[in-house]
Order: sequence, then structure tokens, then C-alpha cells
Amino acid sequence: MAEIKRRDEAPKPEKEPKKTETSASGVSRREFLVGSGAGVAGLVIGGVIGNQVIGKPAAPAVEAPAAEAPAEGEVSLYKAGYNLVFDSVQCTGCMICAEACSEKYATFLHPEETANVVSLEFARIRPMRFQYVDVINVCSYCNLYEWAEGSSEFPCEAVCPEDAIITVPEGEGEEGYYGMGYKWVDREKCLGIDKCWRCAEICEDQFASGMSFDPIDRKAQVCSRCGGDPECVKACPEPGALTWVPAARNGRYFANHPSDYAELLYRKIYNHVREL
Amino acid sequence: MADLFGITGKIARVDLTTETVTVIEPAEEIYRKYLGGSAMGAYFLFKEGIFDPKLDPLGPDNLLQFMIGPVTGAAPNARITLVTKSPYNIFCASTCGGHFGSELKYAGWDGIQVVGKASKPVYLAVMDDTIEIRDASHVWGKGVEEAELILKSEVLAELESREGMIRDADLNPEWAALRPPKRLGMHAKRLAHVMAIGPGGENQVWYSCVVTEGARAAGRWGAGAVMGSKNLKAVVVRGTKGHKLADKKTFLALVSGIQKSERGDYFWRSYGTAGIGANSAYVEDAFPIRNWQWCSWADPHVKAITGPFMDQTSFVRKVSCYGCNLHCLYPVEVTSSDPLMDGTMSDMPDWEAMGMVGGNLGYMEMDGVDPDKPFTGSVKDQAEHLAKLQYTTFIHDDNSLDFIEGGANIALLMELVQRGFIDSGDLDGIDLQWGDVHAVDELVKKICARDGIGDKLAQGTYETARYFAELKGKPEIMNYSMTAHHYGQPAHDVRSPADKNAMEYVTVNRACAHTGGGTAGFKTGDWAAAIAGQNVSAAQNSLVHCQFPAGHWAGSRIDLIKAATGWSDFSDEDLQLVGAREYALSRLFEIHIRQLKDPKAEWDRQVPPRWFNDPLPTGSQKGAVAYEGKPDVLFNEALPAYWKERGWTEDKGVPTLDTLKKLGIDDVAGTVASEHL
Ligand code: SF4
Ligand code: SF4
Ligand code: SF4
Repeated sequence: MAEIKRRDEAPKPEKEPKKTETSASGVSRREFLVGSGAGVAGLVIGGVIGNQVIGKPAAPAVEAPAAEAPAEGEVSLYKAGYNLVFDSVQCTGCMICAEACSEKYATFLHPEETANVVSLEFARIRPMRFQYVDVINVCSYCNLYEWAEGSSEFPCEAVCPEDAIITVPEGEGEEGYYGMGYKWVDREKCLGIDKCWRCAEICEDQFASGMSFDPIDRKAQVCSRCGGDPECVKACPEPGALTWVPAARNGRYFANHPSDYAELLYRKIYNHVREL
Repeated sequence: MADLFGITGKIARVDLTTETVTVIEPAEEIYRKYLGGSAMGAYFLFKEGIFDPKLDPLGPDNLLQFMIGPVTGAAPNARITLVTKSPYNIFCASTCGGHFGSELKYAGWDGIQVVGKASKPVYLAVMDDTIEIRDASHVWGKGVEEAELILKSEVLAELESREGMIRDADLNPEWAALRPPKRLGMHAKRLAHVMAIGPGGENQVWYSCVVTEGARAAGRWGAGAVMGSKNLKAVVVRGTKGHKLADKKTFLALVSGIQKSERGDYFWRSYGTAGIGANSAYVEDAFPIRNWQWCSWADPHVKAITGPFMDQTSFVRKVSCYGCNLHCLYPVEVTSSDPLMDGTMSDMPDWEAMGMVGGNLGYMEMDGVDPDKPFTGSVKDQAEHLAKLQYTTFIHDDNSLDFIEGGANIALLMELVQRGFIDSGDLDGIDLQWGDVHAVDELVKKICARDGIGDKLAQGTYETARYFAELKGKPEIMNYSMTAHHYGQPAHDVRSPADKNAMEYVTVNRACAHTGGGTAGFKTGDWAAAIAGQNVSAAQNSLVHCQFPAGHWAGSRIDLIKAATGWSDFSDEDLQLVGAREYALSRLFEIHIRQLKDPKAEWDRQVPPRWFNDPLPTGSQKGAVAYEGKPDVLFNEALPAYWKERGWTEDKGVPTLDTLKKLGIDDVAGTVASEHL
């Protein structure tokens, strides 16, 4: 099982991006996971953006503020070994997290197509209302126990025939995503909903409902924890509904099929047994 | 057509008789005039000839409209307005929160209009451009709670409804061996939103509402009965298209400004409307107690109607509408020593419920103790009183009944029993005493089923009073009907000068609405200010956004409309005109469908006699009556002056042709107006 150590400080700036091995397709993974440690932020915009140019030079004025390397002793926003903890009892179902997330990724991946549209369909977090309960539905990062399924990958990662679901190592990857190793869909490789939906299916069959597909490229999308600085957590108005904390790792114990989770919440909150 | 922003330019028109769906594409000019929601709904009532006096509100020709506006979608506090000809033969424009309105925009529609009548129970499944009329026999007869959860799972986006494709070969052998046998495919997402009716609507109880998310309702004026008359159980919508905005950046900046401002609003964020209770009962002396015989308790220990007590007793969560930071709905699980109520899931009660199916039904006092006596119970008794209130809220919501009109109806009966006009023999053996939740429960069941006496009571408070007045040969029974324009008065009184002014209920365009606005203007006799308040409120119902955060919207509303639509010259004045148009149209609508020859005598004066007959017996405003006891000043001076300010005739309150021209609606309403001028 890949270990991610907890760390509350920013990673050390890396002068040289790490080398990664060439993948089976012959395309070097490094080419689209351009190194971008905090210290060298803003040099390159990475190329995991749909079909767009790989590794093109950054425009001088980028919208997303590049993270500054924190001064000595200062705590960075970007934290490794942290997890997103959600409490659906505190959630009010306002969808502000979903709108924030969707907006972030729509602008990031499809800036032109979405220049005039607000949509929730790009959201990686989709709370669902089951009347009196709201289920916060987002990928749980359920790395499997090796002794059970014979794998330590994410289930969705394990079933992907194209190896499109990847974990970007700490300190690498997209500009603005520094701290932790984050989960990402390589949109070059993903076959898209019209050919394959194995990742979504295994998730909905056995775990939760963390995968969705964007309506433009129809490629898989999943929560990346924004690389350590989750937009949804910042947007959520309800104390305790979404928190970013140093937390237990094996996410499969956080994962719930949405309607199962709703049933549990009915039991917990209202003492009710409801079939959903 | 030029690109449209904010609006989609499309309204679906579903004919349930012919099972066809067509698309109406109103010109952008129409949207600028009416925005959407209530004003646009009023326009269609004219355009489609629903003003025909012979058109039966519960017949197939009536038009039921689910309307949203240009900011509904990505804007916070989204609502939807249901516009139709009410079973009471009045104008119905009833709004409802939740997520349904936003989702409808995301599906690419500005509204759904339903005409005709299905041959068997159906529901509408709206999945973006596709609208299907589907069989609803499996949910017919079910309460809204159960029906909603079932229907929600039946409408999935295309991406969400694939069958399974994973084979064992896709997994490693250990995993394949462990994998549970059931293969679900991809049906886990539950992103559709539902508006549904319960048995009350199915049986066309006049005051039935349309409910979403268990406890949010387009509550008043009987849209649920119209839905039931069409055999339409529910509308389910799932939208993936998003909301197109002319200037997204500005729009989102305004939205986050509104949301930030809401975040500091701890009145709403603490108890929602439940925070008003004590103020109304003890400070304003304007709380409905026992069919408005009292408006305050002698003893401030009656605290089960206060937010803090409810919260300490039962609030378990907070629930928002789309994008809202006020989360005014607080679900509860009722805890009671009475098995009838114990364990019921309900909400709050909100302000109107605690008044209308709480104080008004005599739930808050100990047995045999009048409201003007000290409270003799304990905190446990108060918790039981709250339970009754929450339970009664639940039976109304789940059966899709308006608990304001429902509470008025039952309280009327209780007072008639108290005064000896009727007894259990008139109520199929139910002994209806103040505070008896079991009797209320039985009666509501009868009303929903239209069983026995329930069939008479299903036509609402005013008709109930009329029925018994005739049956008993006692016209004075009408004195206890707390209805203005034949519809139940909500939980704000007009006798206490600290709460609403009688003119507000007399002039509001939706019978006896408490959300019509203009209070300050009415109190000071500043008709222009009162009208401006009413117009803004109507415009809010056309945009459509919630009125609770109106203060947080006030500075941004026009800019938000501009950013959404790109109508860069849209102004406050235009917003006022939207409201003025709705008022003119709805006034003409009611005059025409009721064929009023002398509207003032036949209609405007139809207010609760108690306003003037029965001074407040106790409390801070003891002795007060409505309009300082001067109904003639109200109806013969104030009302004509108000009409004049609106550009309506002073004798009948009919919008003049000149006014209609100025409003740009003479083409739609001129002919009708000339019949009544
Ligand atoms: S929740 Fe779903 S998407 Fe997330 S890791 Fe688990 S299986 Fe994958
Ligand atoms: S922003 Fe917070 S409260 Fe709102 S839906 Fe998301 S998790 Fe729930
Ligand atoms: S205040 Fe209440 S009704 Fe209004 S938008 Fe917020 S949650 Fe909905």
C-alpha cells in the first residue's frame, strides 16, 4: 500500500522535476505531469487538460494565484496526509460546495465552453437530498486492503483498463496542486462514458458514487482534493460539514452508496428505518 | 434568435389529454415585461383564456404552470411559482423553495405548463429536453414523503443509468471471488428533484398544496387540487445543461456577496421563522389562539412556540434551499408519550404552522384552562404541546394540505363546537375540542379522503362556515370564518397595530397572503410606498427568489438580473412595472372570473367580521380592532385612494385602459377591462 506521510508544512521546492518512467503507451508520464513544486510555481501549465497542448508555457497572468513558498515556520495551506472529512448531519444541502467545485473545474478544463455557463455537472462533490437528509457524496479515497482484494489501489483505479486514474506524487503535478499526492484522471487516456464506465460502476456497485463524467468531453472526473487545498471546504458555510483534517487513511470505511448512507442517516438522526 | 441568457426562452407545454408536449418560445420582450414566475404566469392566464368565467378550475381546461425566472438556477434562494386558476375561483400564484426551481433551469426550461387530464395517474419525468408522461399508479395514494423518494430514483441522467459492464476478468481473481453477487450497474445517483401531491391533492381537497423535499410546499390557493384534477401525481426534473449567464463573473461575485451577507444573519440561521413566535404572541399581541379569540397568552411561560424551546426539544438538522445560507427549515423527530405522535418525522414548526395548527387549535394550554389564565403545566407538558403541533404539521404536509387554510378550517369548527352551534353529531361522531390532536387527526383523514363530512370540509374554511350557516339556519356562523376573500387568514393579525395593517390583506393580489409586502406604507397611509412594496414582492415571485433573504438581495437584485440576462438597461423602474403588471392582471382576472358587478361590496369587503367585531381581549394591545374600528374609512377612503394610486378606477378598482396602455398590457387585458370599467 502506498504510504502518504502526514506533513503540515509545504513541500520543499524542487529545482528539478522528478523523473517518472515511461508508461506503456510510450508517452512519458512526466510530459503531462510537469513538475511544479511550490518554489517554481507558475513556470509551466501542465497538460492534463483534455486534448490540449501538453506542457505549454504559462501565460504571464494566470487566474489561479501561484502559491508562495511559505516562510520559515509558517504553515502551508497544502497539507499531505490530510483527508476530507464530511458530516452529513451538519450539511444543509445548499450545494455551495458543488457549485464552487464545478466552477473551478469547468473554468480549468473547459474555459471557453463554460465562459457563460454555471453548471453542477463538473462538480466532483455532489450532495444529494433524500428529503430530510442530505448525503454529502464525494470520492472517499478508498484504497483497498491488500489482503482482501489483492490490491492496494483505488477500486476505480484497479478496474480502469487504460490506467487513466492515477495518483500524482507529492510535489508534482498541476500548478496550484502542491502538497499531497492527489488523484487525477488522465483525460488523454480515459475512454469516456460512451466506451467505458467501469470506474463509476465499481464505485456505485461496491463503494459510493464518487465518479462522474463531464458533459463536454464526457471523460471521467473525480475529486482530487484540489491537491491539498479543497475548494469545497473553503466554500462550505456550515461549520463541521466539510473539514480538511489529518485523518485516518483507508477511505473505504468512509464510502457509502448514497441511498445506503441516506438510510443510515435516517436511522441515526430520526430513529427511522426507511427503504431507499 | 439571438443568444438568450438568464432565461432559456423555452416553456414546455404538456397536454395530458392528448399526451403531447410542445414548446412555447415567448419573445424576449415578454420576459422583459414579466420576468417569469407569478407575473408571467398571470400573463399566460390571459393569453390562454383561463379568465373565462365558465372554465372550471378543476376541469381539464385549467392551466397549471410551474414557472421560474431569469435568476432561478445558479442564483441562491431559488424558488418556483405555481400559477393557475385556484379551485376557490381566485388567482393562485404560490411559491415554493427547495431545489426544484434551479433544477428546472438546469434542464433548460423557464417553465412547465400542464393542461388536460390524464386518463390514469401519471407523473412527468423531465430529463433535460426529454419530457415523458409516465404511469404513476405505483405511487398514487401514497403520501408525498414516500412518493417523492420513489420517484426520485426513477429519473436519472443518461450517464447515470448505464447497465453494468464490469466482468470478472476486469478484476483480479481474489477480488472477483469476493465480489458480491448483486450487480447494480450505475443507478446510485439521486440528483432529480420532485414536486408531488399526496392524497389531499389526489382527492382535490381545495386547499391542497404541492410539496417538495417532504416539507416545502407551494402551499396556498390549492395548486395541489388542480394537479390532482389532472391525475398528475408529480413532476420530476433532472437537468444537466446548466444556467447560461450573460456576465458570469459579475453574477458569481454578486451571488457570493449575497451568500456572505446571509452567513451573518443569525436570526434565520438560528431558528428560521420559529424565531418570531414569542415576539408575535407577547409583544405584538397578534398570534392566532383558538380561532383568533385571543392573540396572546397571559403567561409568557407558554414557550413551546418559540425557536429556542423547539431547538432545545427537537431540532436535529438545518435544511437549505438551493444556494441558501439561511437554512430556515429545521427537521425534527417528534418525541411524545402519545404513540400517535411519537417518532413522527416532521419539521420545526415554522411560523405559520405554530400559529395555524398550534395556537389556533388550542394546543398550547393545559386542558380546561383558557389562554388568559396562568399556564399550569410543566416543561414536559410544553414538549407534548409542541409534539401536537409538529404532528399536525406532518399530517398536513404529507397529505399535501395547506396548513394555514387547514388550521383556519379546523379552528372554525372547534369554535363552532365551543359556542354550541354544532356538535359531534355534525362531525361524523368526532368530538372536536380545543387541543385534541386525536380528533384533529381523525378529521384531517376524513377531509383527505373526502369521507362523510370531510367531503364538505374539503372546500375550505369559508365554504365550511357557509355550509353550517345554512344547515343550522344561523347566518351568524359566518362571523367565525377567519377568511379574507374566502381564504384563511395566516398567522398575522391586523387588529394589533404592531403587526399587519388590514389594508395589506384587503389589497394583496393573492387572497389573504401574508407575503404581499408594503406593510410600512399601509401603516402610514403612504400608498405609493405600499404599492412599491407590493410590486417588489410580486417581482420577487417572478424572478423567482425567496423573500426571507430579501434584505440580502436588495442592493444586488437589479445587477443580478442584468448580469444574468445582459439587459444592461434594466432598472428598478422596470422591476416595479413587473409587479404593477401582475397586480393589474390578477385584479382583472378575479373580477372577471367571478363576474363581479360591484367588486367592493361583493369581494373587497369580504374580510373576517372578527376584525371589527371582537376587540383583542388581552395583551399589550388589549381592546384593539382593525383599522381603528373604522371599516368605512378603510373601504371608502383608503381603498379608493390606493386604487387611484395604482391607476385603477376609484369605484371598482378596475385598471383603466390608460393604465393598461402605460403598463404595455392593453393588448392582453384591454378587452376584459373594458367589460368591467
Ligand atoms: S469512492 Fe469511488 S471513486 Fe472514490 S476511490 Fe472509492 S471507488 Fe474510487
Ligand atoms: S456547502 Fe457544505 S452545507 Fe452546503 S451542500 Fe456542501 S457540504 Fe453541505
Ligand atoms: S430562507 Fe428558507 S425558504 Fe428561503 S431560500 Fe433559504 S432555506 Fe429556502
